[in-house]
Amino acid sequence: MTNPVTKDRRHFEDLAVGEVIDLGHTTVSKDMIITFAREFDPFPFHLDEAAAKASLLGGLASSGWQTGALSLRMLVDNFLSKIASCGGLGFRDLKWKNPVMVDDTIGGTVTIVELRRSTSHPQWGIVTLDFDIRNQKQKPVMTMRLANLVECRNPEVAA
Amino acid sequence: MTRWFEDITVNEAFPLGDHTFSAEEIIRFATLYDPQYFHTDPELAQHSHFGGLIASGWHTVSVGHRKMVDALSAEEERLRGLGQEPGVSGPSPGVNAMDFKAPVRPGDTVTYTLTVTDKRPSNSIPGWGLLFNQLTAVNQRGELVYEAHLVGFSKLRDYRMPLKLQLLLALTRVPVLGKLIRRGS
Repeated sequence: MTNPVTKDRRHFEDLAVGEVIDLGHTTVSKDMIITFAREFDPFPFHLDEAAAKASLLGGLASSGWQTGALSLRMLVDNFLSKIASCGGLGFRDLKWKNPVMVDDTIGGTVTIVELRRSTSHPQWGIVTLDFDIRNQKQKPVMTMRLANLVECRNPEVAA
Repeated sequence: MTRWFEDITVNEAFPLGDHTFSAEEIIRFATLYDPQYFHTDPELAQHSHFGGLIASGWHTVSVGHRKMVDALSAEEERLRGLGQEPGVSGPSPGVNAMDFKAPVRPGDTVTYTLTVTDKRPSNSIPGWGLLFNQLTAVNQRGELVYEAHLVGFSKLRDYRMPLKLQLLLALTRVPVLGKLIRRGS
């Protein structure tokens, strides 16, 4: 039962612990920050410069969820759309280390830290990925550990 | 925004309301942030083990955050209506754990609930407290969609600055001395 969408992509067996994925980078505009915040995070410190200056953030900054979403987009473009990904399981230890301010450029790397076969579903493996997202000054912005399912090319081969 | 740190009751569940996900918004979010075929293309999605289009987990979580922000604003309005000054919520330092349990398909209605499971004063930021929040999302069939363990900042009402900090702050207001202190720190 081959999936025609993913058959030519890298599968679980093709991945290696220690592989580093370069995410490239993306610049976060004021318009992007306000558009996301209006829909998902309408705290005054994500919408209004004066309120943002008075807050712990010290200026207009992106929602942490937007920083995560933009990091995910970079992972999809550079990795998940090139492997036989079949969805995320969740994440651990997400830390927003520094706010992302208007016109900051964020980017970084993701490292494969663990690979294991699913015990309940032999057709899948689980890839664990560590994010290291930084701004243009190389200051850390966000770290997290994400677990994602990947199709195995040969499910019948025991783990 | 919301209650003061001191007035937050541990283990009290706050209903945050629900949200029905349309195919259009699932595709719109995923096109921007999570363009994998099972989030953006209903035809190709049939080949995935989900058998059809599903929402990005990051989308269902972002909507959950919106529901929380709305509930905090409503609580602020309620307190103002009672003639009380509401507390102040700060930005979040992070998420301890997020587990996606069941996919969200077009037309699904997800109900969100927030519970503060623990709280303590912040060690790093004087005058603020940390809240440990559990957020659960359940679909119309009663299946758990995701469970999150989040951390948030909340301002202390009864905070009194230690004498040493008060003195330092007062000294920074002396014109020449203040400049030197600020430059040194």
